[in-house]
Amino acid sequence: MKATPESAGDLLFPGGYRRRVLSLLLLHPDRTLHVREIARLTGTTAGTLNKELARLHRAGLLEREAVGNQVRYSADRESPIFGELSSILRKTVGLADVLVDALASAEKSGAVELAFVFGSMARSTESPRSDVDVMLIGNIDFAEAVRLLYPAGVTLGREINPKVYTKAQWRKAVAAKEPFVREVLAQPKIYLIGNDDELESAGRQRSR
Amino acid sequence: MSLKAQVGSGLDEITPSRVTVERLLAAARRQIADARTKGVSAETRFSAAYTAIRMLADAALNANGYRTQSSRTGHHYTAIQNLTLSAGVTVETVRVLQTLRRQRNETEYSGDSVPESTVQACMLQAEELLKHVTAWMAKARPKLS
Repeated sequence: MKATPESAGDLLFPGGYRRRVLSLLLLHPDRTLHVREIARLTGTTAGTLNKELARLHRAGLLEREAVGNQVRYSADRESPIFGELSSILRKTVGLADVLVDALASAEKSGAVELAFVFGSMARSTESPRSDVDVMLIGNIDFAEAVRLLYPAGVTLGREINPKVYTKAQWRKAVAAKEPFVREVLAQPKIYLIGNDDELESAGRQRSR
Repeated sequence: MSLKAQVGSGLDEITPSRVTVERLLAAARRQIADARTKGVSAETRFSAAYTAIRMLADAALNANGYRTQSSRTGHHYTAIQNLTLSAGVTVETVRVLQTLRRQRNETEYSGDSVPESTVQACMLQAEELLKHVTAWMAKARPKLS
């Protein structure tokens, strides 16, 4: 399952493990990891990774330090494209992929009709400790939403805060121009299920 | 980490008090009743249901001979997280309660609104926890219940 039907992430980062490595390190720039930790977290082998990590280091995207006989890598924040590349990863493969996967069963059953990330993660203004705010519109139960999203939070290394609205509650909140909902509507979003048009129509009052 | 191991780093040891436990349980019941009040905002009802959860977590700690060090930041987190040890609540339920706690912080400090479905979820969790903690006490701490 990809973030979007035409997954830009797939198109831009055709090598499976390159994008996993870049997501892991660039989306957590505070982390410095041993090669074998990177291998474990990205589901690859250390042998395959060594060459790839060395190339990414030579390209100026990763920092490399040798500690004893172990080599550790982290994102190179001084890279001139660090900000832009992290932003692309976040919006394509990093955050969205993990959350889309977590919500797959709820999308299939129809329990969630629309889902998107809002707040600091969607605005790219997050700090290493920021939570991920996820809006869910549908009939999903709050406790079920927590259960589905919890493993994604572990993967992302961040707490996930689901906001659950039924369609009727969402329409009502939009009609009442609730400040919170207006702010959410006005700010950047990363769609997980649905798109701007569907969100717009979900907010409209039923004509009949 | 056991409750005892947290003494000094989040918890204080106390003598369990039947009076305090009963008072907290009664207060939690009143908060749940308040959460059902019609005509008040979703945020107020949510806050009441959340307070009931926190009081139940405190009651369970007291029954085990502990209380949170309320001067420390994160004492709500500590009381809720320890429900697995203090009253045998499942880890899954604790995750839901912690998510409600974070929602409550957003509501109190950022003015976020609370969707009605979340108010209902919080009330349901408070009611379930009341049942669970009361049953646990009757069984494990009969002298206190």
